[in-house]
Amino acid sequence: MADSVQHPEMEAEVVIVGGGPAGLACALHLARLYAAQGRSAENILLLEKGRALGAHQLSGAVMDPRGLRALEPEFASDPELGAIPVEDDALFLLSPDHALRSPVTPPPLHNHGNYVVSLNRLAQWLGAKVEAAGVSVFPATAGRELLWENDKLIGVRTDDKGVGRDGRPKSNFEPGYDLFAPVVVLAEGPRGSLTKQLLARCALGGANPQVYSLGVKEVWELPANRFPAGRVYHTLGWPIPPELYGGGWIYGLGGNRVSLGLMTALEYADPATDPHNLFQQFKTHPWMRALLAGGELVRFGAKTTPMGGWYALPPLAGNHWLLLGDAAGFVNSQRLKGIHLALESGRLAAEAIFAGALARYPESVRASWMHEELWPVRNFHQGFEHGLFAGLANAALQMATGGRGLHERYPSVPGHERMRTITTLGDPPPRLTPDGALTFDKVTDVYHSGTRHEEDQPSHLLIADTDICNRRCTFEYGNPCQNFCPAHVYEMVFDEHGAKQLHLNPSNCVHCKTCDIADPYQIITWVPPEGGGGPSYDGM
Amino acid sequence: MKILVCLKQVPAKDAPLKLNQAATWIREDVSFETNEPDAFALEAALRLKEAHGGEVVALTLGPARAAQVLREALAKGADRAIHLDAGEAAAGAPPLDAFAIAEAVSRAIAGESYDLILTGLQSDDAGYGQTGVILAELLGAPHATIIMQVEPAGERRIKVKRELESGNFQFVEMPTPAVLTIQSGINKLRYATLMGIKQAKNKPLARMTLEEIGASAGLNRQLVHRLFVPSKSKGTTLISGSAKEQAAALVAHLRNDAHVI
Ligand SMILES: Cc1cc2nc3c(=O)[nH]c(=O)nc-3n(C[C@H](O)[C@H](O)[C@H](O)COP(=O)(O)OP(=O)(O)OC[C@H]3O[C@@H](n4cnc5c(N)ncnc54)[C@H](O)[C@@H]3O)c2cc1C
Repeated sequence: MADSVQHPEMEAEVVIVGGGPAGLACALHLARLYAAQGRSAENILLLEKGRALGAHQLSGAVMDPRGLRALEPEFASDPELGAIPVEDDALFLLSPDHALRSPVTPPPLHNHGNYVVSLNRLAQWLGAKVEAAGVSVFPATAGRELLWENDKLIGVRTDDKGVGRDGRPKSNFEPGYDLFAPVVVLAEGPRGSLTKQLLARCALGGANPQVYSLGVKEVWELPANRFPAGRVYHTLGWPIPPELYGGGWIYGLGGNRVSLGLMTALEYADPATDPHNLFQQFKTHPWMRALLAGGELVRFGAKTTPMGGWYALPPLAGNHWLLLGDAAGFVNSQRLKGIHLALESGRLAAEAIFAGALARYPESVRASWMHEELWPVRNFHQGFEHGLFAGLANAALQMATGGRGLHERYPSVPGHERMRTITTLGDPPPRLTPDGALTFDKVTDVYHSGTRHEEDQPSHLLIADTDICNRRCTFEYGNPCQNFCPAHVYEMVFDEHGAKQLHLNPSNCVHCKTCDIADPYQIITWVPPEGGGGPSYDGM
Repeated sequence: MKILVCLKQVPAKDAPLKLNQAATWIREDVSFETNEPDAFALEAALRLKEAHGGEVVALTLGPARAAQVLREALAKGADRAIHLDAGEAAAGAPPLDAFAIAEAVSRAIAGESYDLILTGLQSDDAGYGQTGVILAELLGAPHATIIMQVEPAGERRIKVKRELESGNFQFVEMPTPAVLTIQSGINKLRYATLMGIKQAKNKPLARMTLEEIGASAGLNRQLVHRLFVPSKSKGTTLISGSAKEQAAALVAHLRNDAHVI
């Protein structure tokens, strides 16, 4: 796109990038603080790349109510939200053909007092309150670039609309806006594209690198009375290889629906590892097969989640910016919960913005229950780096020592560095061929994610050097992009000379960010496509 | 020119649809969007206004969620909007038939004089293709369907281009006020700008219920008894014999079984 494009400008007080629980909580609380002073919230801007608020929201989800209660004390009784109290929870250990119910549910997986929610619905519900509070909400709008004046962050540029595949403006071209504000709040969720720009430019990071898991999820409708609303099951073991971190879930959503999914750490050695295929295998376990018999796939989605914990948190605030929720890395990997932390980080950020003292935000996080919850599990994830059994032993040890374990900080490395070249490995892990009834291929699943993009636009997957893909990677790692992408965006096809060549299907992309994270050469950069593109996670 | 654009909110194009329990309609648990041809009708109206001045009013009939199509229309440049609120019972129920919708619209705009009323050619959900035509009849106005182009042709007259079959077109001059049903793909849709979205909040959005306007809606003359999902079946038949026999058998099959020739 030519540099001569004139970008319309808008002055704002705060620009919030991302309409997940973190961004929405920040907007809502700040608007209410403004309202108490009779100030209009019109110049608080919130950008969300999804077609509508909630469209890109996918979670499990069992929610710890602490975060939401601080904002909306009466949430549990609002039928519009439809939060379901957890009635029953259990942990199962899976071997290829047995499911062993753990006689006790370990305390971190106790969910009594928590709620089963749809994050998509929660975002719509909070979003309606945010709009009613007068915040300027811009759906279908992506933050595309940070704006700097020397080393001072001064705002955000939004995505250009109406650019053709060839990079040229179409007749309906609309240039992105330059939004100038003294405070930029990054609430982009895991691996945010602006967050990545910020951390790279300012050379910031945590004590440990951030590491991620990919969650692949389906919603199923089951015969009546098969799985009650509010039942929460977690699984460990098969089909996740024993040396890898991960596990499954089944949550009863009510209306005969269940949420089921599998988390796979993006820290594996074998490039043939395919988290989507592992999830399909998970459903073929005899115990799962019986549960799902007679049921029907309703929705599909996939999303990453940061797992590094406290030691992977980058600095949370600068002079003109704040990092919230998953963009910072506030997930309790032991409990697989981040919604409450995202909401609370948004609320605390709003307090700091309102006080005109951004540095208060990290201080208040440290003084809050967020720190109290995350500090004792600061080494939990790293303890699993040698697999399930070492991890469980470490977890027990850490629990006995208040989180410290054998040493104060267990180190970790970025997940992609663990990947090994194919010649150093034995046979690839078994793959399942989908049957189209219980198990599905990626394309069928993507259809159930409601994903859609403007077709005539430049690819939003920037690959620094496709020669690496077509020549080096084919021989060294066997093009793991085909395996780790849960949406069949990456495909190796044969060209006319019989050589393998990378072919992209960007329109399939469900915005999970796995490729940006897991590529062993780190040459894939995920940037937001034209605003409004992506999945439509109704009820997820 | 004073232009009314009728917009309908329909299930999003790529939404994975499931039938409701009674199989009378689909379930509500999908996302919704502006009916595609209606979006082109709005674009045509905005372009007429930009070229010739006037006012664009957006109207929808539907439950509370349907107001979203009006907010989008306002953000793109409509001057004001009317939400005919069909109540929450309308969400998830089979859609009103074309007559019921047209009748409600005609009542809602009684007393206002529009030069042009634009609707989409048909809706993506029920696909009646009749709403605009019946509305014209109820208003006593002329109509033209499958419109690809509209331009003023002197005092209270317009010239329109209609799409006919097999790549033929018809050009018609007609008096206004008139109702036109607009074809998809006739122009390039604009994007709502951030400024447009912000300003839309301050534009008038009137809401009226069907009872308030005395519409008989709900009394569908056309009832949906049951929907069926087309069952897909795949089968392979091998045809043997000489090339000539095979060709003859294939033609017979295409004609008598597949009904495609
Ligand atoms: C499979 C899975 C299961 C989970 N299960 C649970 C659970 O059971 N309980 C629990 O508490 N937590 C769970 N979590 C974690 C929880 O969902 C997250 O911690 C939480 O959603 C984080 O909220 P957030 O607002 O920080 O980010 P997100 O929810 O990721 O929201 C970020 C938003 O920002 C938008 N965005 C990103 N970049 C841009 C940009 N540049 N411009 C505009 N918009 C942008 C995105 O579209 C998205 O809507 C789970 C996560 C996953 C992936």
